Amino acid sequence: MTATVSGERMAATVAALAGDEFAGRRVGSAGGAAARAWLARRLAEAGAEVTLEPFAVPNVPEVYAPPAAQWSDGEHGRHLAFGREVAVHLASADQPLVRSGPLAVAGAGDPAGRWLVVPAGTTPPGVNGALGLLMGRGVDADGWQYTMLAGPEPGPLPILTLDTATHAAVLRAAEAGTGRFAGNAPIRRIDVRAANVHGRWRAPSGGPDLLLTAHYDGVGDHPGLRQPAAADNASGVAVVLEAATVLAEALPGDVGLAVALLDGEEAGALGSAHHAGRLRAAGAAPIVINVDGAGHLHEAAAVEAGGPARALLAALDQAGRHTGLPLVAGPVASDNRRYAAAGFAAVGIGAGMAGYHSPADMPDRVETATLEAVARLTVATVMTYTSSLIGDRR
Amino acid sequence: MSETHITEPAAPTGGFTGDPAAALTVAGTGGCCGNPPAATLALPEPAAAEAPCCGTAAEATAAGSCCGGTAKADALAAGQSCCG
Repeated sequence: MTATVSGERMAATVAALAGDEFAGRRVGSAGGAAARAWLARRLAEAGAEVTLEPFAVPNVPEVYAPPAAQWSDGEHGRHLAFGREVAVHLASADQPLVRSGPLAVAGAGDPAGRWLVVPAGTTPPGVNGALGLLMGRGVDADGWQYTMLAGPEPGPLPILTLDTATHAAVLRAAEAGTGRFAGNAPIRRIDVRAANVHGRWRAPSGGPDLLLTAHYDGVGDHPGLRQPAAADNASGVAVVLEAATVLAEALPGDVGLAVALLDGEEAGALGSAHHAGRLRAAGAAPIVINVDGAGHLHEAAAVEAGGPARALLAALDQAGRHTGLPLVAGPVASDNRRYAAAGFAAVGIGAGMAGYHSPADMPDRVETATLEAVARLTVATVMTYTSSLIGDRR
Repeated sequence: MSETHITEPAAPTGGFTGDPAAALTVAGTGGCCGNPPAATLALPEPAAAEAPCCGTAAEATAAGSCCGGTAKADALAAGQSCCG
């Protein structure tokens, strides 16, 4: 049974969702809508009844142009590379025009007319009249400042984040009183419409109602900077589609089977929040398996559970032993938490990813073997869970 | 950063090494805003502070989000994800 999953098919799904056409699949974007339509077609082709569940998402941050940033220590000038050396902080005000002025250390002296460098570990003091703030930020193993959509509301000033080395150099120039900085912060907030994509093969008729979930949205491309979102979470979508296709043929007829491909996870797990609320209001009691990242297995897959999930965990454990996939209790901070919070038995499975929320989250870094391992685990878990329940009923 | 802790060592073969129910008590499960891998969370953050992740349930409810607004602001200002 579990050997029937196709790694090749899942890899093709990942490659398609990570393609240019879908532009990183940010919630409310044209690329996200195109991905949604593509997924709806895939579900229909797999024999599911497809419905869309729209909802509103306010204040989605969007960097609408690459920030232009350069600085000088008084002798040498340097342009900063967007994404690696400079990025726009989520709490930044929109500042489309380049502002130029001397560097100063935040908290030391008059801030008016200056770019303020915020030393590590400090909170900016009063900054009335400052041109903007420069904060330090680490980069990942590929040298990127990863992108987030969920975060604070914008404040009154432009805020740019600088990689650690640049931040240290700019701070030295500020302390020496010789530096200048010029930059803008082109970021805006937009209210958008989102939609979950649901596929149902059959409703339960006395048996449990299995719900497989994965979010299809990503943080989205920046202007001039593709962010394919292959592992996070095209890989989870690929696993869920594959597992559901296999299970649709294999499950007993009284077991319900549905898939929810969720939007708005990167903006705060909003798609699952919306769906879980509707399920609860309808008196439903799904058994939820959420996959968030099936790209880069390192020793073991993380499992987080919530709600009345002991039986589901026992099935997952047995399935792990059957398929040879090691499991560890660990955080899977994703849509599974919304379903668990609504009182449903829910587990999240995270099998790792490379290039989190950055241009490095490419399809070629999603391991086919990991896709296969998680798909087999998912199928085996559902089969084990439903078999044990059927045994209980006899 | 407490969310990076794994409560059980990796199993040499498939399945959980210990009690699967440990997955019900994973530390730091108050948020739901993305799932950064441990390698990313371990990045040096020069502005890092010991900010709580996503605040309390009451804050989250008031914020209309999985994360409390203040906790998110603190975490993001520290260069972390709001759940990191």
